[in-house]
Amino acid sequence: MNPLPEFPAEEERYRALQELDPGTTGALEVLVAGLHDESWRVRHVAAETLKRLPSSRDVAERLIRVLDERGETGARNAAAEALAGLGGAALGPLVRLLSHPDPDQRKFAADILGQLGQRTAEMPLVQALEDPDLNVRVSVSEALGRVGGEHSARALEALLADPEPLLRLSALEGLALLRRPPPLHVVLALLDDSRLQRSAFRVLGLVPQVVATERICQGLASGVRSVREAALGALGTQVTLAESVRRGEIEAVVLAALRRLPDAGERLAQALEAEDVTVRAGALVAAAALGEPSLALPVAEAAREDRLLREVLNTLSRLGPEGGRALLGHMADLSSPARAAAAEALVDLVDADSVTALCALLEWAEDDLRAVVVRALGRTRSPEAVPPLVDLLVDPALAGAATRALGVLAGSNRAAVLAALEAAVARRATSAAVAALARVGGAPALPALRQLARDAEPTWRAAAVEAVSEVDGGVGRELARAALADEAMQVRISGVRAMGRLGGPEAGALLRPALHDEDVSVRLAAVEAVGACGAVDRATDLEVLVRHPDGALAVAAVRALSRLGLAVPGVLRNAASHPDAEVVKAALSAGAETEEGVSLALSLLGHPRWDVRAAAARVLGDSGGPECLDAARLALEAEADALARQTLSDAVERLSRR
Amino acid sequence: MTRFDDGRPEMTLEEFRLLRDHVYSHCGILVHEDMKFVMERRLWPRLEALGLMDFGAYHRYLRYDAQRHAELEAAVESLTTHETYFFREPSQLKAFCDELLPILEKRNGRTRRLRLWSAGCSSGEEAYTLAMLLKDSRRFDDWDVEVYGTDISRRVLTLARRAEYGPSALRATSADLLERFFVPVGNNRVRVRDEVRAWVSFGHHNLLDETGSQLVPRMDVVFCRNVMIYFDLAARRRVLRIVRDRLVPGGYLLLGHSENLLNLGADFELVHLRGDLVYRRPELPGLTGGEGR
Ligand SMILES: C[S@@+](CC[C@H](N)C(=O)[O-])C[C@H]1O[C@@H](n2cnc3c(N)ncnc32)[C@H](O)[C@@H]1O
Repeated sequence: MNPLPEFPAEEERYRALQELDPGTTGALEVLVAGLHDESWRVRHVAAETLKRLPSSRDVAERLIRVLDERGETGARNAAAEALAGLGGAALGPLVRLLSHPDPDQRKFAADILGQLGQRTAEMPLVQALEDPDLNVRVSVSEALGRVGGEHSARALEALLADPEPLLRLSALEGLALLRRPPPLHVVLALLDDSRLQRSAFRVLGLVPQVVATERICQGLASGVRSVREAALGALGTQVTLAESVRRGEIEAVVLAALRRLPDAGERLAQALEAEDVTVRAGALVAAAALGEPSLALPVAEAAREDRLLREVLNTLSRLGPEGGRALLGHMADLSSPARAAAAEALVDLVDADSVTALCALLEWAEDDLRAVVVRALGRTRSPEAVPPLVDLLVDPALAGAATRALGVLAGSNRAAVLAALEAAVARRATSAAVAALARVGGAPALPALRQLARDAEPTWRAAAVEAVSEVDGGVGRELARAALADEAMQVRISGVRAMGRLGGPEAGALLRPALHDEDVSVRLAAVEAVGACGAVDRATDLEVLVRHPDGALAVAAVRALSRLGLAVPGVLRNAASHPDAEVVKAALSAGAETEEGVSLALSLLGHPRWDVRAAAARVLGDSGGPECLDAARLALEAEADALARQTLSDAVERLSRR
Repeated sequence: MTRFDDGRPEMTLEEFRLLRDHVYSHCGILVHEDMKFVMERRLWPRLEALGLMDFGAYHRYLRYDAQRHAELEAAVESLTTHETYFFREPSQLKAFCDELLPILEKRNGRTRRLRLWSAGCSSGEEAYTLAMLLKDSRRFDDWDVEVYGTDISRRVLTLARRAEYGPSALRATSADLLERFFVPVGNNRVRVRDEVRAWVSFGHHNLLDETGSQLVPRMDVVFCRNVMIYFDLAARRRVLRIVRDRLVPGGYLLLGHSENLLNLGADFELVHLRGDLVYRRPELPGLTGGEGR
């Protein structure tokens, strides 16, 4: 049969259907003919286009008739595919199909209803469990697992007692999908049947009881790999569901079980490479319990799956310094995600002997990895870590991390750190060394810093001013004041920040020119500084900025006014009508505890952005009175965004208790 | 003082959504809800580098700071997975060598010119692999051959140009290939031989950037493997439209193993090779060559 006779070549039939306008009369029949094409590509494009036809009810009825054509397997499958894509419109016809005289049709109906996954199909499917045909019943129970609901769960649980193993199996799988474990004794009984074992383990993982863990551990000892993996999968699930308090209990049971297995390590290493993510997750839990350092590399490699990162880090941290050394010695052999995870774990696993290996890593590792290595160097407590860390202050991406690491290292090696920093400053290695010097050196470093504040290079002047403000208030104020009049923007910013940190009676007046600086970064820093030092005399300047078109300035102004306790109603109203949503949110959080803030929140419950609506809901929950309840309820009914909904429903709950 | 000395800031769900949406609109990468933990970990070093206290401040930084463009790149950099290695997905590469290369040799026989694109090339392993396979086939020895590797991450491009690799990148490379195409540089590491490097060049390109893609020359084959797995449907569609435009009519698109073009419309046709499924930009009407079914 050639349904599109004017197009002899497959390619042309394919294109003809692709270009078909779904709105033309007769399109339905052309596409139905396409479902019967000998080429699967043509059938596929026909099915895809059918999903987009306007009157989906007619389409559904027509497709159901195709399902009835015996001998046309390709067409029937394509029709099923199209039906599954029709959504609600296919529901009625499919439910009717569940009582078709031909069991094949009934099975199709159940399969497609499962794919649709609509709860309204629940009751008809539960009834269809009475079907005389076994294949139909199996399909129905699988579908129930996808459709969900209370009745489905109960019906599936009842099926577990069915004499037919195939049905018990599909019921177990369905319950696993629904995450509804039956009572423990029922699952335990099913575990003895080798045909059901794997699925029974899946369900067992959903049971948060130690008895379940114990039974899972028996599975770990199995000689059959697939059973072991099923057990590990169950363990993975159980741990994700358990609260952290129960985690220790679970691990104790696992450890006891693993100790009885001479080759536990090898088994876990193998399982860490399993196809199934939950198996790998379980293997990580088991490896953490076992604490076997030789597993460090395969454990780190599990980080190739992003979702396992948390578990990988937890497990690595349990492998002790020996595990740390294994990682450090093999960093180059690891894949890049594994390397990143290993580096993060290393921060807690290093000791004084690790410096050389860490430095070798710095030679070639990627930037983000190097940042972690820097942290690790700080924790080695070794004087050998000082020079490389000081050298790293030159690198803008790592300077912050290196400064902090030096601070940590100074705890055990103060003199060495100080000497190295002084030398770096003396040879003008990098301005980051100045900040580090001030932090570690304190008052004795002041003369050197003062000198630096008069340097010809603005970079050094800027660094010195900020550094001094962390060491000595008096000197800091004096230098900051001079810096505010500096010709270099960079130095003015440092002066502003220092002034913000130090405050004082004159701070507001001194900061005024900076609020009007020609450079917007200086202005921004000044706004923040005014808020930081409590310069209430600058409030009017800030109020003007609240209406500034630059969102960054406006947000900063609102936040600063709020810190000053001056986020008065007028300010909030101005901010709330700013076109930038971040400014609106700043207004909401600034007014959070005031009456004005609450009425602002009420007016913003219908804002087009979800994050603004959520912020409004939070204010109502925190500060609204019972009179806000109705508005919050209404908003909740209309809310489509999940996170905003969550916040709103919290608010409703809190409001109804007032 | 930052908070890093004791604990690091946690990312609230709201901050997560705002950051995620921001990243998504820039490069199509969709970070799933269950990846909040991963995002938090990967962005911590950024907060640290910038001296910011929490992720709310980081979001404002990305929105308003003068350095925001550079920082967004840095953020995307840390969020993307760059995992790759030489000779990844061997069965596909075999089909490429055994079935597509003869077709390409015939098709382009007149111009003796061949252009391949490794789109989302990460640290360059894939691009070099392709050049090595071309060399190995001996079909293109005196042709004008160019393999382009592009990626959104500048950092991986630096590594790609350096062309030095360690054991992890070589885990699927046989001793024989290692011998022929690499030179040892000590410390368990090797460098790709110059004659291979001569065929490969690298550049920065966001696959979602239509304007930028004008800089990419017309390609005979595009490898875009394991890149779009992080994209949602809309972003995938956009990338595919751009890729299609960059392909010569009749040119091929090869995706990663777990990827396919179902539901993505009909810009490509499926070609069943003996060893693999690949996609092809349709020939211009009237020019259908007889090759490759
Ligand atoms: C997992 S690697 C795949 C490398 C290689 N194609 C392979 O299959 O082995 C994915 C790469 O895609 C890049 N990428 C992600 N989004 C991108 C975008 N919008 N434009 C260009 N490259 C992108 C990432 O930076 C990363 O290096």
